[in-house]
Amino acid sequence: MIKNPSHPKKNQRKVKQCKFSRAGLEYIDYKDVETLQRFTNDQGKILPRRVTGNSAKHQRQLTTAVKRARFLALMPYVAENLR
Amino acid sequence: MSKNYYEFTYIINPVLEDDKFKESVDKVSKLIEKNGGEIEEVDEWGLRQFAYDIDKKGTGYYVNMYFTAPAEAIANVERQLRIDDDILRYLTLKYDAKMLRHRELQKKNEVPDIFAIEDDEDDNNEDDD
Repeated sequence: MIKNPSHPKKNQRKVKQCKFSRAGLEYIDYKDVETLQRFTNDQGKILPRRVTGNSAKHQRQLTTAVKRARFLALMPYVAENLR
Repeated sequence: MSKNYYEFTYIINPVLEDDKFKESVDKVSKLIEKNGGEIEEVDEWGLRQFAYDIDKKGTGYYVNMYFTAPAEAIANVERQLRIDDDILRYLTLKYDAKMLRHRELQKKNEVPDIFAIEDDEDDNNEDDD
């Protein structure tokens, strides 16, 4: 975080917060493909934590959920148009 | 013998005729019951498009179910399903305390929507880039 009070970007800094923690979700369901897709890019890759602002705990859960969904062909390992 | 709560999803070969799906579902349910399981809910999602081809097939008949069973039953059930050519994929999940609590919420339809809060926040946030 920027400590200098006169820094020009001070007020533009957006504090990211984990969406799962904020909603108080305890378990991320692999069946909820729509939600999972919001955390993957168009190639079907899982977005990093620095982009989404997920907490470490939920990022781990998200990863397992996405991988389960991939196994059951609910989500692609590699997106169709790139194969 | 301790019993656990399981979630079980499997995909049936789509090439079968319609009445064969029911047969397959019944077969799996019976198999679980025979191994000492108690089925709580069977949810047939029906034919769904795959995200990628499995065994050169583009669709599959998804079945999702919940049951309680002794731990030993799972190995038996899975062994039978691996032999079965009509089952393309299966996934068994043992539920822990967190997942059980989530399931209770699901039953009551009270799962918090993680994107619902986001919109309010964005309105209040004047410092968007």
